[in-house]
Amino acid sequence: MRHFLVMTLFAALASIVFGAMGKDTTRERWLYGVKVFAEFMVIGLVLSWVLYFIP
Amino acid sequence: MVKTERIDAEADEPTPSSAWLIGTAAWFIPGLGHALLKKWPRALLMGGAVWLCFFIGLNMGGHMFDLNAAEGSSQLLQVPPMIANLGTGALYIISWLLGYGFADDPAQAARATYEYGNTFLLIAGLLNYLTMLDAFDVAAGRKS
Repeated sequence: MRHFLVMTLFAALASIVFGAMGKDTTRERWLYGVKVFAEFMVIGLVLSWVLYFIP
Repeated sequence: MVKTERIDAEADEPTPSSAWLIGTAAWFIPGLGHALLKKWPRALLMGGAVWLCFFIGLNMGGHMFDLNAAEGSSQLLQVPPMIANLGTGALYIISWLLGYGFADDPAQAARATYEYGNTFLLIAGLLNYLTMLDAFDVAAGRKS
């Protein structure tokens, strides 16, 4: 559980910076930040399950 | 004006010297560049994210890199992570002067969160480089 929380924290902090500097309007920045956050989380979970099955 | 013409027009304009100062300030104190530009929400969000990332990394027992290589390790291999760590500006320099976060302590390395801490410290620096470039671009009038 702690690993997941650390990953979530990492994704949140990185996506805040990416979102804040990424686009032109406030709405676009929010959407971009949420998209980057979701990508971090999904890719992190997929990678962790892939690595789980690799001895 | 199409995008290529706009880029050409921007390339012809000299970069104001204040942009370099703002960029340097943004690197030295995370968030200061945007604060000087009175972009308060961005200063708070971007600077805050870097500060948080740095202190969470330190709290997890992360290790920062300098040119003093550990025994059996190449000094050259220390350079890329040191550049990433150096991105936090004054935070790195003050820690280095105080000798805090640089010790090669086996007990610290044995902590479960040691590698997480390292990653947070590296990412704090890299995120601050992005923040610095954003502040520079805003100061130079290349973005709003």
